[in-house]
Amino acid sequence: MYPDLPAGADHAIANAYFALFALVCIACSGGVLLSKHPLNAAVHLIGAMLGISGIYALIASPFLAVIQVLVYAGAIMMLVVFVIMVLNRARDHQVPRFDWWSIPAAILPLTLLAMLGRTLSATSAPADPAAMRGEIAPIARAMFDTGAGGSGYWLLFEIVGVLLLVAIVAAVLLAKRSLDTPEHVAGIADEGHPKGDAHGAH
Amino acid sequence: MAPIDPLLVQLLAALIFVIGLVVVLARRNIFLVLMGVELMLNAVNLSFVGFSRELPGMASLWGQMTPLFTIAIAAAEACVGLAMVICITRGKDTVDSDAFADMRE
Repeated sequence: MYPDLPAGADHAIANAYFALFALVCIACSGGVLLSKHPLNAAVHLIGAMLGISGIYALIASPFLAVIQVLVYAGAIMMLVVFVIMVLNRARDHQVPRFDWWSIPAAILPLTLLAMLGRTLSATSAPADPAAMRGEIAPIARAMFDTGAGGSGYWLLFEIVGVLLLVAIVAAVLLAKRSLDTPEHVAGIADEGHPKGDAHGAH
Repeated sequence: MAPIDPLLVQLLAALIFVIGLVVVLARRNIFLVLMGVELMLNAVNLSFVGFSRELPGMASLWGQMTPLFTIAIAAAEACVGLAMVICITRGKDTVDSDAFADMRE
Protein backbone atom coordinates (compact mmCIF):
# COMPACT_ATOMS: atom_id res chain seq x y z
CA MET A 1 0.00 0.00 0.00
CA TYR A 2 2.05 2.91 -1.22
CA PRO A 3 0.55 6.37 -0.62
CA ASP A 4 1.34 7.65 -4.12
CA LEU A 5 -1.84 6.55 -5.78
CA PRO A 6 -5.45 5.89 -4.82
CA ALA A 7 -6.36 2.21 -4.35
CA GLY A 8 -6.63 0.25 -7.58
CA ALA A 9 -4.48 2.65 -9.64
CA ASP A 10 -1.76 1.27 -11.87
CA HIS A 11 1.89 2.00 -11.10
CA ALA A 12 2.89 1.46 -14.74
CA ILE A 13 0.74 4.41 -15.80
CA ALA A 14 2.20 6.47 -12.94
CA ASN A 15 5.71 5.69 -14.17
CA ALA A 16 4.77 6.65 -17.72
CA TYR A 17 3.37 9.97 -16.50
CA PHE A 18 6.51 10.53 -14.42
CA ALA A 19 8.66 10.07 -17.54
CA LEU A 20 6.43 12.52 -19.44
CA PHE A 21 6.57 15.18 -16.70
CA ALA A 22 10.33 14.71 -16.26
CA LEU A 23 10.81 15.26 -20.01
CA VAL A 24 8.68 18.42 -19.84
CA CYS A 25 10.73 19.69 -16.86
CA ILE A 26 14.10 19.03 -18.49
CA ALA A 27 13.07 20.43 -21.89
CA CYS A 28 11.58 23.59 -20.36
CA SER A 29 14.62 24.12 -18.09
CA GLY A 30 16.84 23.83 -21.17
CA GLY A 31 14.54 26.34 -22.86
CA VAL A 32 15.13 28.80 -20.01
CA LEU A 33 18.87 28.37 -20.49
CA LEU A 34 18.85 28.86 -24.26
CA SER A 35 16.00 31.28 -25.01
CA LYS A 36 16.96 34.67 -26.39
CA HIS A 37 14.20 36.91 -25.06
CA PRO A 38 13.39 36.96 -21.30
CA LEU A 39 9.68 36.54 -22.08
CA ASN A 40 10.38 33.25 -23.87
CA ALA A 41 12.44 32.19 -20.86
CA ALA A 42 9.56 33.09 -18.52
CA VAL A 43 7.09 30.98 -20.52
CA HIS A 44 9.56 28.05 -20.47
CA LEU A 45 9.95 28.52 -16.71
CA ILE A 46 6.16 28.31 -16.28
CA GLY A 47 6.23 25.05 -18.26
CA ALA A 48 8.94 23.64 -15.99
CA MET A 49 6.94 24.62 -12.89
CA LEU A 50 3.78 22.97 -14.24
CA GLY A 51 5.82 19.80 -14.92
CA ILE A 52 7.17 19.84 -11.36
CA SER A 53 3.62 20.31 -10.07
CA GLY A 54 2.56 17.20 -12.00
CA ILE A 55 5.37 15.24 -10.35
CA TYR A 56 4.22 16.49 -6.91
CA ALA A 57 0.75 15.15 -7.66
CA LEU A 58 2.26 11.80 -8.71
CA ILE A 59 4.47 11.36 -5.64
CA ALA A 60 1.91 11.77 -2.88
CA SER A 61 1.63 15.57 -2.47
CA PRO A 62 -1.60 16.73 -4.16
CA PHE A 63 -1.79 19.80 -1.88
CA LEU A 64 1.70 20.98 -2.85
CA ALA A 65 0.84 20.44 -6.53
CA VAL A 66 -2.09 22.85 -6.23
CA ILE A 67 -0.01 25.39 -4.28
CA GLN A 68 2.75 25.15 -6.90
CA VAL A 69 0.34 26.01 -9.71
CA LEU A 70 -1.43 28.76 -7.73
CA VAL A 71 1.53 30.54 -6.16
CA TYR A 72 4.50 29.74 -8.40
CA ALA A 73 3.11 29.38 -11.92
CA GLY A 74 0.32 31.84 -11.12
CA ALA A 75 1.37 34.63 -8.81
CA ILE A 76 5.19 34.74 -8.91
CA MET A 77 5.54 34.20 -12.65
CA MET A 78 2.76 36.71 -13.30
CA LEU A 79 4.88 39.26 -11.42
CA VAL A 80 8.01 38.34 -13.41
CA VAL A 81 6.23 38.52 -16.79
CA PHE A 82 4.58 41.80 -15.78
CA VAL A 83 7.90 43.45 -14.87
CA ILE A 84 9.59 42.15 -18.06
CA MET A 85 6.80 43.63 -20.17
CA VAL A 86 6.86 46.94 -18.29
CA LEU A 87 10.64 47.33 -18.56
CA ASN A 88 10.96 45.86 -22.04
CA ARG A 89 11.77 48.64 -24.47
CA ALA A 90 12.28 46.13 -27.31
CA ARG A 91 15.97 45.90 -26.46
CA ASP A 92 16.13 43.07 -23.94
CA HIS A 93 16.92 40.48 -26.60
CA GLN A 94 19.95 42.49 -27.78
CA VAL A 95 21.85 41.58 -24.64
CA PRO A 96 24.25 38.77 -25.66
CA ARG A 97 23.18 35.44 -24.22
CA PHE A 98 26.59 34.13 -23.20
CA ASP A 99 30.17 35.35 -23.05
CA TRP A 100 33.58 33.74 -22.68
CA TRP A 101 33.14 33.19 -18.93
CA SER A 102 30.05 31.08 -19.59
CA ILE A 103 32.24 28.06 -20.44
CA PRO A 104 33.89 27.64 -16.99
CA ALA A 105 30.58 28.70 -15.42
CA ALA A 106 28.95 25.69 -17.11
CA ILE A 107 31.70 23.17 -16.39
CA LEU A 108 31.65 23.62 -12.59
CA PRO A 109 27.90 22.87 -12.16
CA LEU A 110 28.26 19.81 -14.41
CA THR A 111 30.98 18.54 -12.06
CA LEU A 112 28.54 19.15 -9.20
CA LEU A 113 25.88 17.13 -11.06
CA ALA A 114 28.26 14.19 -11.52
CA MET A 115 29.17 14.21 -7.81
CA LEU A 116 25.52 14.53 -6.72
CA GLY A 117 24.46 11.70 -9.02
CA ARG A 118 27.17 9.41 -7.68
CA THR A 119 26.34 10.15 -4.03
CA LEU A 120 22.59 9.81 -4.57
CA SER A 121 22.82 6.47 -6.37
CA ALA A 122 25.03 5.14 -3.57
CA THR A 123 22.71 6.20 -0.73
CA SER A 124 19.21 5.92 -2.19
CA ALA A 125 16.47 4.30 -0.09
CA PRO A 126 13.22 2.83 -1.45
CA ALA A 127 9.89 4.57 -0.91
CA ASP A 128 8.42 3.79 2.52
CA PRO A 129 5.01 2.07 2.36
CA ALA A 130 4.01 3.86 5.60
CA ALA A 131 4.59 7.36 4.15
CA MET A 132 1.48 9.54 4.34
CA ARG A 133 -0.32 11.09 1.40
CA GLY A 134 0.00 14.88 1.72
CA GLU A 135 -3.62 15.92 1.51
CA ILE A 136 -4.98 19.11 3.05
CA ALA A 137 -6.37 17.66 6.28
CA PRO A 138 -3.22 15.84 7.53
CA ILE A 139 -0.96 18.75 6.52
CA ALA A 140 -3.20 21.26 8.31
CA ARG A 141 -3.27 19.05 11.42
CA ALA A 142 0.51 18.74 11.40
CA MET A 143 1.13 22.44 10.79
CA PHE A 144 -1.39 24.09 13.13
CA ASP A 145 -1.19 21.70 16.06
CA THR A 146 -0.63 24.15 18.96
CA GLY A 147 -0.61 21.46 21.65
CA ALA A 148 2.41 20.47 23.71
CA GLY A 149 3.39 17.75 21.23
CA GLY A 150 2.89 20.04 18.21
CA SER A 151 5.60 20.67 15.66
CA GLY A 152 5.65 24.46 16.15
CA TYR A 153 5.25 25.15 12.44
CA TRP A 154 2.32 27.50 13.17
CA LEU A 155 4.77 30.05 14.62
CA LEU A 156 6.89 29.83 11.45
CA PHE A 157 3.70 30.32 9.42
CA GLU A 158 2.93 33.60 11.25
CA ILE A 159 6.54 34.81 10.83
CA VAL A 160 6.37 34.12 7.06
CA GLY A 161 3.24 36.29 6.91
CA VAL A 162 5.15 39.18 8.52
CA LEU A 163 8.09 38.56 6.15
CA LEU A 164 5.80 38.84 3.11
CA LEU A 165 4.42 42.14 4.42
CA VAL A 166 7.96 43.49 4.94
CA ALA A 167 8.93 42.36 1.41
CA ILE A 168 5.96 44.20 -0.12
CA VAL A 169 6.86 47.41 1.74
CA ALA A 170 10.51 47.04 0.69
CA ALA A 171 9.50 46.51 -2.94
CA VAL A 172 7.39 49.68 -2.94
CA LEU A 173 10.21 51.68 -1.33
CA LEU A 174 12.79 50.35 -3.84
CA ALA A 175 10.72 50.83 -6.97
CA LYS A 176 9.33 54.27 -6.19
CA ARG A 177 11.34 57.15 -7.62
CA SER A 178 11.09 59.48 -4.66
CA LEU A 179 9.06 58.97 -1.53
CA ASP A 180 7.62 62.46 -1.24
CA THR A 181 7.04 63.17 -4.96
CA PRO A 182 3.80 62.02 -6.60
CA GLU A 183 4.38 59.60 -9.49
CA HIS A 184 3.16 61.79 -12.36
CA VAL A 185 5.42 64.70 -11.29
CA ALA A 186 8.46 62.42 -10.99
CA GLY A 187 7.88 61.02 -14.48
CA ILE A 188 7.95 64.48 -16.06
CA ALA A 189 10.86 65.82 -14.02
CA ASP A 190 13.21 62.95 -14.93
CA GLU A 191 14.63 63.95 -18.29
CA GLY A 192 15.85 61.33 -20.75
CA HIS A 193 13.30 58.77 -19.61
CA PRO A 194 9.84 58.54 -21.08
CA LYS A 195 7.03 59.14 -18.64
CA GLY A 196 5.84 55.62 -19.34
CA ASP A 197 8.42 53.80 -17.27
CA ALA A 198 7.19 55.43 -14.09
CA HIS A 199 4.49 52.75 -14.24
CA GLY A 200 7.11 50.26 -13.17
CA ALA A 201 6.67 51.51 -9.63
CA HIS A 202 3.12 50.26 -9.35
CA MET B 1 5.11 -2.67 -11.52
CA ALA B 2 7.07 -0.92 -8.77
CA PRO B 3 6.09 2.59 -7.68
CA ILE B 4 8.15 5.56 -8.91
CA ASP B 5 11.77 5.15 -7.79
CA PRO B 6 12.80 7.95 -5.35
CA LEU B 7 16.27 7.90 -6.92
CA LEU B 8 14.79 9.07 -10.25
CA VAL B 9 13.07 11.97 -8.48
CA GLN B 10 16.34 12.96 -6.81
CA LEU B 11 18.29 12.75 -10.07
CA LEU B 12 15.68 14.89 -11.82
CA ALA B 13 15.86 17.45 -8.99
CA ALA B 14 19.68 17.49 -9.22
CA LEU B 15 19.52 18.00 -12.99
CA ILE B 16 17.03 20.90 -12.70
CA PHE B 17 19.15 22.46 -9.93
CA VAL B 18 22.29 22.28 -12.09
CA ILE B 19 20.48 23.78 -15.10
CA GLY B 20 19.30 26.61 -12.83
CA LEU B 21 22.85 27.12 -11.56
CA VAL B 22 24.18 27.31 -15.13
CA VAL B 23 21.46 29.86 -15.97
CA VAL B 24 22.48 31.99 -12.96
CA LEU B 25 26.22 31.80 -13.70
CA ALA B 26 26.31 31.86 -17.52
CA ARG B 27 23.46 34.07 -18.72
CA ARG B 28 24.04 37.83 -18.87
CA ASN B 29 20.45 39.12 -18.76
CA ILE B 30 19.53 39.97 -15.15
CA PHE B 31 15.96 38.67 -15.62
CA LEU B 32 17.44 35.30 -16.55
CA VAL B 33 19.58 35.35 -13.40
CA LEU B 34 16.42 35.79 -11.29
CA MET B 35 14.68 32.99 -13.18
CA GLY B 36 17.65 30.69 -12.60
CA VAL B 37 17.27 31.27 -8.86
CA GLU B 38 13.58 30.34 -9.11
CA LEU B 39 14.52 27.16 -11.00
CA MET B 40 17.01 26.19 -8.27
CA LEU B 41 14.42 26.79 -5.52
CA ASN B 42 11.95 24.57 -7.40
CA ALA B 43 14.54 21.81 -7.71
CA VAL B 44 15.22 21.86 -3.96
CA ASN B 45 11.46 21.68 -3.25
CA LEU B 46 11.21 18.65 -5.52
CA SER B 47 14.11 17.06 -3.67
CA PHE B 48 12.36 17.65 -0.30
CA VAL B 49 9.15 16.02 -1.51
CA GLY B 50 11.09 13.11 -3.04
CA PHE B 51 12.93 12.44 0.21
CA SER B 52 9.74 12.74 2.26
CA ARG B 53 8.44 9.55 0.61
CA GLU B 54 11.32 7.60 2.11
CA LEU B 55 10.12 8.33 5.68
CA PRO B 56 7.16 6.77 7.50
CA GLY B 57 4.19 8.50 9.14
CA MET B 58 4.27 12.13 10.25
CA ALA B 59 7.92 12.56 9.20
CA SER B 60 6.79 12.29 5.57
CA LEU B 61 4.40 15.22 6.12
CA TRP B 62 7.12 17.42 7.59
CA GLY B 63 9.11 16.94 4.40
CA GLN B 64 6.10 18.28 2.49
CA MET B 65 5.60 21.33 4.73
CA THR B 66 9.07 22.79 4.21
CA PRO B 67 8.37 23.47 0.49
CA LEU B 68 5.30 25.49 1.54
CA PHE B 69 7.58 27.87 3.44
CA THR B 70 10.12 27.85 0.61
CA ILE B 71 7.41 28.93 -1.81
CA ALA B 72 6.43 31.82 0.48
CA ILE B 73 10.08 32.89 0.82
CA ALA B 74 10.44 32.65 -2.98
CA ALA B 75 7.47 34.99 -3.38
CA ALA B 76 9.16 37.54 -1.10
CA GLU B 77 12.45 37.07 -2.97
CA ALA B 78 10.84 37.62 -6.37
CA CYS B 79 9.04 40.70 -5.06
CA VAL B 80 12.19 42.39 -3.71
CA GLY B 81 14.38 41.12 -6.57
CA LEU B 82 12.14 42.57 -9.27
CA ALA B 83 11.89 45.87 -7.39
CA MET B 84 15.71 45.96 -7.36
CA VAL B 85 15.78 45.26 -11.12
CA ILE B 86 13.39 48.19 -11.69
CA CYS B 87 15.57 50.31 -9.41
CA ILE B 88 18.91 49.61 -11.14
CA THR B 89 17.63 49.66 -14.74
CA ARG B 90 16.33 53.18 -14.10
CA GLY B 91 19.87 54.54 -13.85
CA LYS B 92 21.57 52.49 -16.59
CA ASP B 93 18.68 51.70 -18.98
CA THR B 94 19.96 48.20 -19.75
CA VAL B 95 19.45 44.66 -18.43
CA ASP B 96 22.98 43.41 -19.21
CA SER B 97 24.60 42.30 -15.97
CA ASP B 98 28.04 43.46 -17.22
CA ALA B 99 26.76 47.05 -17.08
CA PHE B 100 26.44 46.79 -13.30
CA ALA B 101 30.08 46.06 -12.43
CA ASP B 102 30.50 49.44 -10.71
CA MET B 103 31.82 48.04 -7.43
CA ARG B 104 34.89 46.72 -9.24
CA GLU B 105 36.07 50.16 -10.30
